[in-house]
Amino acid sequence: MYDKKVVRRRRAVLGVLVALSLGLLTVYFGENGGGFLHSVQSGTSSAFSPLENGVSVVFKPVSNLTHWTGDVFHANKENKQLKKQVQQLRAQLAQSQTAQRDAAQLRSLAGLPRASNFAAGGKLITARVISRSPTVWYSNVIINVGSGDGVHIDDPVIAAGGLAGKITSVGGGQAEVTLITDQSSNVSAEVMPDGSNGIVRPEVGNPNDMLLDYIQEGAKIAKGDSVVTSGFTSSKLDSLFPRDIPIGKVTKVEPSELEQYQRVHIQPYADLRRMDYVQVLTGNAEQQRAQVIK
Amino acid sequence: MILTAGTVVRIFLIVILTVVIQVSGMQGITLLGGTIDLIPLVVGAVALWGGSIAGATVGFSCGLLLDLTVGQDVGASSLVLTAVGYFVGRYGEVNEPANALLPVPVGAATTAAYLIGTTVVSLMLSFDASLSILAFRDMFLTVLLNTIVALPVFALIRRIIRPVLTRDPLDRRRKRAAPIESGPIGLRGLGI
Repeated sequence: MYDKKVVRRRRAVLGVLVALSLGLLTVYFGENGGGFLHSVQSGTSSAFSPLENGVSVVFKPVSNLTHWTGDVFHANKENKQLKKQVQQLRAQLAQSQTAQRDAAQLRSLAGLPRASNFAAGGKLITARVISRSPTVWYSNVIINVGSGDGVHIDDPVIAAGGLAGKITSVGGGQAEVTLITDQSSNVSAEVMPDGSNGIVRPEVGNPNDMLLDYIQEGAKIAKGDSVVTSGFTSSKLDSLFPRDIPIGKVTKVEPSELEQYQRVHIQPYADLRRMDYVQVLTGNAEQQRAQVIK
Repeated sequence: MILTAGTVVRIFLIVILTVVIQVSGMQGITLLGGTIDLIPLVVGAVALWGGSIAGATVGFSCGLLLDLTVGQDVGASSLVLTAVGYFVGRYGEVNEPANALLPVPVGAATTAAYLIGTTVVSLMLSFDASLSILAFRDMFLTVLLNTIVALPVFALIRRIIRPVLTRDPLDRRRKRAAPIESGPIGLRGLGI
């Protein structure tokens, strides 16, 4: 009761499309960042960015409304947390100001140059997020600035004062940001004030909880400590970021009885799920690359 | 589905608008802590009304465009969505469903199959990180939200592609047999 021709055609279409998908995957993984498929990807992303820009503007009021509704429910709890945090920060500020004055005096005695913050020597470019990956398995966003605005590959991206990710692909008027919550992300970091070094890695599916691995068992790390980029890489797998970009704060320390490292959970400062605007720190990546080549 | 220039234009517009609206619009709208994913719903709708070939083709196109526009691994989403579109299309061809509420379970099943398929492919490809249980909560919320919006999305897609369909399953349900005018008066309408 069925037409063999129709059945054959149906199966042929399925076979061809599956084979094509597998072929694309094989080629994509086999080529380097400047390969044919990566170029097509970059070109498609550039071609669609004006349309994506328009659609994101149209949907912005709805997005704001849903965010506002969510904020109303969380406002009371957040208010209590923030009051507590303000008290802690006041105490920290007093200590920090004293330490800063002491450091300045000691630096002048030793003849050292003045320390700078992460943005010094670079330029911060504000950008709007125009599209996001819809699955939890990929943490990429597209922003509406590109090489025409001075953005380069590997430039750090900052949101709400914390590290959000880095530029992994750049077009004329748009760029792709791979967030620190992407499963491929590894960020060299240090815990302040202890100074212990580790690698910040994501816990896929939970952007509010990241793991700081390879922290030695004896390191004194407490809840509330700040985690910043360390400014160096220990292997080719780690990302190279300028020093002192805030990443997040320690929320939990799990001492391990079997391993020589302790597991530290951190909450990133950047709200990676709801960020609409980000800042790209340009200039530093170029300088660091030049230093590495030297 | 009748293959004409009109069909190609309709499918082309459906694919582009679905992917762009999803990545630039819907992805920023958080409801109950989750987000609606229009892509599996649209692929499921085209497959259910248009058949397995249309379903597989739209699934492949949506997946490829998605991978190209947001920088994902090219071929991963198209592989999953091709399979999802084909099997939903086969379900529609074999059963010729005429129930108006069918989009609800089909939308839920399509979304769940897409999310599970994406998970499996991602884990097989290059996954090297810790996995939070919250990832599965997000998937559950997406399935729930997609189930809620399945009826209007399926209705919209049916409206768009209806002129190029060879048969519309819902029409069969709506068309009633013409009343019988002949025969004994007391037995009219009984089909005797």
